Amino acid sequence: MNDGKRKVVVVPCSGIGKSFGSVAREAGYELCDELRPETTQLVALSKLVLGEEQARDRVRQSAAITIDGCKLMCAAKLVKHNGGKVARELAVLDVYRRHKDLKADGIAELNAEGKQLARVMAEEIAAVVDDLTGGDAANRGGHG
Amino acid sequence: MANLPQRKVGIVACSGEELAEGTVTRLATLKVLHELRRGETVTICLPLFLAGNEGNRNFARSHPTITVDGCDLKCAAHGTEMYSGKPAASIVVSDLLAEHGIAKPEGRRCLNDAGKRAVEITAQRLAALVDEVLGKPERVAAADAGGAQESAKDSEVVTCSCGSGIPAKKLEVAGQPVEVVALPLILDRLREAHRQPNEAVAQDLLEMVKIYNYVPPEAEAAWRDVLVKEYAAHCAREV
Repeated sequence: MNDGKRKVVVVPCSGIGKSFGSVAREAGYELCDELRPETTQLVALSKLVLGEEQARDRVRQSAAITIDGCKLMCAAKLVKHNGGKVARELAVLDVYRRHKDLKADGIAELNAEGKQLARVMAEEIAAVVDDLTGGDAANRGGHG
Repeated sequence: MANLPQRKVGIVACSGEELAEGTVTRLATLKVLHELRRGETVTICLPLFLAGNEGNRNFARSHPTITVDGCDLKCAAHGTEMYSGKPAASIVVSDLLAEHGIAKPEGRRCLNDAGKRAVEITAQRLAALVDEVLGKPERVAAADAGGAQESAKDSEVVTCSCGSGIPAKKLEVAGQPVEVVALPLILDRLREAHRQPNEAVAQDLLEMVKIYNYVPPEAEAAWRDVLVKEYAAHCAREV
C-alpha cells in the first residue's frame, strides 16, 4: 500500500499522429495499470489543456513524470504551464535510441515492437517512481 | 494546372487517457482519418494549441473543425474554442452512447465490446458530420439510408497536423512573419491561368489563400498587398 502518500502523477502525451505518441500512451498505461498501480496516477493531458482544477491540483501537489512522443514535449510544457513541477521529463525517442531494434509502427494499434518499446520505457520509469517514492518495495504494488 | 489541395475538415479528439471514452475518441478519429473520410480530414494533437506555434493555433480557423470528447468536461471542444477557433460541430461520446443505448465502455487500454461498438458509432457520426460540413448531402443521405460508407481517395496522404504535407511559403505581413499554407500551389495555378499580377487578381488571390490560412479581417488589406507583390515576383521568376 501507499500509506496515504501522494501518488506520483504520470502525464503521457496524447499524440495522435505518430507511433511514438501511441508508445507514450501505452507506456503510461503499462506503468500505472501494471507496474506501479499503487504509487502512480495517470492524469489526462486534455484536462491540462483546459486547466481543469482537479488536474491542476494534482500536478501542483505531486511529483509529475511526463512521457512525450515528440520533440514538442507537450506533456512537459503543459504540466509547467499549469504550475506543476516536472520531476522527470521523458521522451520516447531517447528510449528508442537505446533500443533501435524496437521500431514502433502503427497508431491505433501498435506493432509488437512498439508495445515492447513501451514496456521497456515503463520499466525504466518504474525505477524513477521508486526513487521518488523512497524505493520501498512494499509501495510498488503490481508485478514490476 | 497546379493541383491545389482540397479543403479538409479538422477533427480534434480529447484522447483523454483516464477514461475508456477517451480511447474511443482517439480510435474513432483515426478510423475516420484513415478509412471513412481519408483525404478529406486532418487532425492535430489537442495540446499543440498551447504547446505548439501560431500555425497550430490557427488550426480551427484554417479548417472547419469537429471536436470529439469522451466526457462532459469537453476538453477538446472548450480547448479548441479557447485557443484556436470555434468548432463547426462537437460530439460527446458519453451522450452519443446514451442516445444509442450502449453500455459504458470499459478498458482504456484495450476496449471491451461496448467500447469497440462505441468506436464504430462515434466514427460514423463523425463521418456524417464531415459530409455535412463539406456540403455533401448525397453521401449523408446514403449513410442515413444504411448505404455503404465511401472510402474517399485512397491515394491521398493522411496528415496529422495543420497543413503538414502541403507546401507553404513564408512571407512578412505588416512586419510579422507568417507561413502561408498552399501559397506556392495557388501562385502556380494563377500563373497557369495567365492571370496578370494586378489589382483584379488581388481579391481572388486573397480568397484562395483564406481557404487554407487564417487571415484576420482587420489585416486583409495588408495581406492582399503582400500577396499581389509575391505573385508579381512569382511571375517574374517564370522561365
